[in-house]
Amino acid sequence: MPAYRTGFALPLDELRDEIDRLWTSLVTAPPLHGWGPRAEERVFPAVNLRETFDAFTVEAELPGISVSDVDISVAGDSLVLKGSRPGADATTEAPADATADATSGATVERPVGEKVVWLLQERGTGAFERRIKLPVAVDSQRVEARLVDGVLTVVCPKLAACQPRKVEVRGA
Amino acid sequence: MVTRTEPATSPSAAGDGLTYRPNVDASDRGTEVVLVADMPGASATTIDVTFEDGVLSLHGRVVPRPPSGRVIRQEYGIGDYRRSLRLGAGFDGTRIAADYRQGVLTIRVPRLTAVLPRKIEVRAG
Repeated sequence: MPAYRTGFALPLDELRDEIDRLWTSLVTAPPLHGWGPRAEERVFPAVNLRETFDAFTVEAELPGISVSDVDISVAGDSLVLKGSRPGADATTEAPADATADATSGATVERPVGEKVVWLLQERGTGAFERRIKLPVAVDSQRVEARLVDGVLTVVCPKLAACQPRKVEVRGA
Repeated sequence: MVTRTEPATSPSAAGDGLTYRPNVDASDRGTEVVLVADMPGASATTIDVTFEDGVLSLHGRVVPRPPSGRVIRQEYGIGDYRRSLRLGAGFDGTRIAADYRQGVLTIRVPRLTAVLPRKIEVRAG
């Protein structure tokens, strides 16, 4: 039997995974806060980092997080992504209210004070902080970030002094 | 009861060649079941939600983002989202509402009025 099963998880497998996760969290203090059902997924957000001639591009998936909920700071070669994701209830309620506004209340009616029974809760909520060390220092004044459809893209231009430069060889 | 019916990843032809199983919150609110799925990088026009025989299927096509430069670190893959959830009988497939914003898909699946609890008035004879 594999150590981790995907998809069809049996109750005993889930229990064993849960014990493994608890043990891992006790013996290894994770340096970063994050979510995810497994220890290796707990670093949040996961990032992809690419380098071009004059810049680094950091991409992170931040679904359900608005621009006002994320703070990005850059100092030298360090990029910090901080923020929080609202609780599950707030997340489900917000789009419904917005839809009601957009379609003049043409949404499904819900009685006030109804009881909510959770069937699945896989999406993490709460605060996160991720520090990413870039290979070289970047120009903090020119860093630009965009958050579109839950994908954050941060372009960090390298400092001119750190950019590759062709050195001309002078004759005698 | 919502049960998982799809493996986490399976081969597909888009993005990096894998499909990803989105994390889902599902809640039963009596008159409806609300599902919330994280699907960053998709768009409202490329998400298909189907409901057939009590199974709600989500498929989100993700347009591969053009790679630029050299990869230094890759912690997640980019590909389509796919997941099926068995809701069972008693739901009204014609009134399902889906909304996508900030990379999150919210689906409201109302129960058929006929299956909702109803107080029966007793008429005097």
